[in-house]
Amino acid sequence: MLSWLAETLAVLAKEWRCELRTRYALSTVGLFALSTLFMVSLSLGPMGSSSELRPVLPVFLWVILLFAASAGLPRAFVHEEESGTADPLRLSATPSAVFCGKALYNLSLLLLLEAFITPFFIGMLALPIASPVNFAIALLAGGIGLAVGSTLIAAMVAQAQVRGPLFAVLAFPILLPLLKIVVDASLGAVLGSPVDMALALAFLYDSMVTVASLMLFPVVWNP
Amino acid sequence: MSPIHEQGERFVQPTVPTYNPSVSDDTPRHLLDFRGIYRAFGRLKVLRNVNGQARDGELLLITGANGSGKSTLLRCLAGLMRPQKGRITCVQNGKDLRLEARRRQVGFLSPDVAFYSELSTLENLELFAKLRGVEPARGGQLLDRLGLPRNRRAGALSSGMRQRLRWAFALLHEPKILLLDEPLQNLDAPGRRDVCELLENHLTDGLAIVANPDPMDLPRVDHHVELAS
Repeated sequence: MLSWLAETLAVLAKEWRCELRTRYALSTVGLFALSTLFMVSLSLGPMGSSSELRPVLPVFLWVILLFAASAGLPRAFVHEEESGTADPLRLSATPSAVFCGKALYNLSLLLLLEAFITPFFIGMLALPIASPVNFAIALLAGGIGLAVGSTLIAAMVAQAQVRGPLFAVLAFPILLPLLKIVVDASLGAVLGSPVDMALALAFLYDSMVTVASLMLFPVVWNP
Repeated sequence: MSPIHEQGERFVQPTVPTYNPSVSDDTPRHLLDFRGIYRAFGRLKVLRNVNGQARDGELLLITGANGSGKSTLLRCLAGLMRPQKGRITCVQNGKDLRLEARRRQVGFLSPDVAFYSELSTLENLELFAKLRGVEPARGGQLLDRLGLPRNRRAGALSSGMRQRLRWAFALLHEPKILLLDEPLQNLDAPGRRDVCELLENHLTDGLAIVANPDPMDLPRVDHHVELAS
């Protein structure tokens, strides 16, 4: 167990070390999210001040996060395969440690993005949030599901010959239920209505996708 | 040097004792035995009924023209690819290794193996040492032994230095079974001398399977498999 944890942390540290030296995912994800956010806020203005239009805004936030994640997270495995580093990794680490290390990296990247983009979103669209704690929990639950789901999809995409459209095709059925749940939870937090059920469903989804990913990943990763 | 088996139309009679697990008289500490290996990519049959074996202290040389399946065979033996037919028996320190264990315990060198170009040579080896549960200092020792700079980024290495780094990666966890695909590629004369010395040291206790298009200047060759294209 300790060696598995050490392997997972070694993969996570490697991902961040490589990322901080290239800043590929940080700049891709950050710039995409920021430009989309500015486009939305410039087009719609302080829409949050209108109580009728307010329920639409959490949808925009999750669309921004989803597309930003789609721009940066699939690289996790594609880059390994394309650069030839996947084989040494296969030869050296247990598959579950590789998956967990990569998923933790994607999660930390996504949480960083959420922490960076959400205050801007709330401020620029003048969105009042009735229950900030529930809103933060919804962001966390959505982040976990997006990160773990995207990591598994990225691993599948990396094995394919035609990679371009595959992420979107696979992400649609896997991530759509999660997005519906977290949009409901975020909306509840904005309006101050009960969100216990939506948050419970979001964490249930996270648990299911994590268990399924850990079971599927060795098959996807190994020949 | 004696051919065991030749793939394809031509067949050379075995002239060295062939390992048969069911009737083996002595159990070797280390053994890699492959029988009837078949692998195709779509309609292209790359490997057809390939057999071979190496035991403690032995070196098996696999030769063949480009595209004859040498690298595919080595990938199958390393557990990076599954043969569609055939059996691979891998014994290290008397233990029969299953696929997952084989993948992690053999030493594998191939021109396809690349390293993280953003990390230094030492950081690369320390990462793989941590993943394999090996003392990270081993990476530095191997870099010194192979005459590689510790702090140069892997992406800035020459092709010969990259090959030396592949050797360091293959030997990092002190494997008893080495699978070497074109091990002398891009190396200069001192580099060849160094790695031949390392290979000779390895063969005092382990075994090696070497794939190369031509027979080359190796410390010794105990068995030879030639793959027909």
